[in-house]
Amino acid sequence: MTCPHPIAWDTLVDYWAADLDEAATADVEDHLFGCPDCTAAAARVAALTEALRAALPPVISRARIEQLRARGARIRENTFSPGQRREVLFARDADLLIHRLAGLDLTQADRVDFRITAESTGELIAAVDGVPFDPAEGAVFVACQRHYGTLPADTVMSLAVHRPGASPATATYTILHRFE
Amino acid sequence: MPAPDSQLVRAIATGAPEARAAEAELCRRFAPRIRLYGLRHLRDEDRARDLVQSVLLAVLQAARAGRIADPERVDRFMLGTSRNLAQRMRDGEPSNAGDEALDAIPADADDRPAAVDLAALVRCVGALDDRSRQVVMLSFNEERPSEEIAARLAISTANVRVVRHRAVAALRRCLDGRPEADA
Repeated sequence: MTCPHPIAWDTLVDYWAADLDEAATADVEDHLFGCPDCTAAAARVAALTEALRAALPPVISRARIEQLRARGARIRENTFSPGQRREVLFARDADLLIHRLAGLDLTQADRVDFRITAESTGELIAAVDGVPFDPAEGAVFVACQRHYGTLPADTVMSLAVHRPGASPATATYTILHRFE
Repeated sequence: MPAPDSQLVRAIATGAPEARAAEAELCRRFAPRIRLYGLRHLRDEDRARDLVQSVLLAVLQAARAGRIADPERVDRFMLGTSRNLAQRMRDGEPSNAGDEALDAIPADADDRPAAVDLAALVRCVGALDDRSRQVVMLSFNEERPSEEIAARLAISTANVRVVRHRAVAALRRCLDGRPEADA
């Protein structure tokens, strides 16, 4: 970097998080327009933060599913019962698959933790604690996205349902993915 | 030694044979900066691209007409034009398009970094600790302000920022395949 006064990494992150006040935002932009080096650094931060903005988390709420549907997303929903093992197809004409992990008593739940591992290797693919859940439906909604096609296709999805004063109840669902 | 921006602006104003090359070079230098501005304020890649075209067109026309009063500060002129045109786009005005001046913009003007591999991003986000993951997703995916994130996670806003700085650096290292190096 040849800029004598490069913008700090932290400032660039705050800029892309829209967490700078108006004057500080203007200062960053004044600098960026006069500095190709800091523009390149800002572009590296932006590539990451904008990808985060566009990405859906792996587990979403029913409200978010309906919001996506309302925006025109082509969503296929598959329901799984605890212990079930079956194949699903991510068809060419679908934007999103929702794995509805059902058959759960969530009425007393205060937290649900989620894990995905590869069935064949045991590799941990994702682990998210405190995912959204729907007590009324007794379900958790996994947003399977097309770019997951590069991840292991044979997945074991595990849920740990935490209730006050009780040990966690667990459920597993084995979902074998095929992408068209 | 590359020509300073001001020299390019003056060359464009002369209309001399080298003006065309000066226009192309000015566009190459500023297209990435305008795109970033558009991405930050318009929140959409297509609209950011439209902004690049509109701003470069407006600036080239001003440079040809000798209307850039201070060529030494053409970067300020670019930023001011970006602010004005982005505001107009937010107000619903269509962006400019389809002028022969845009032929001056070389195909590689927008030399952005490689797109992030979303599958790799999922893995890297999954490798963050719980608090970092929550802060990152609430900040960038749900676009929640720091104050709201702080209240939800029962931490201070200063702490939200620190967690976010470190988490984004960790994601960048993870995506670059650098476990320990600085971002």
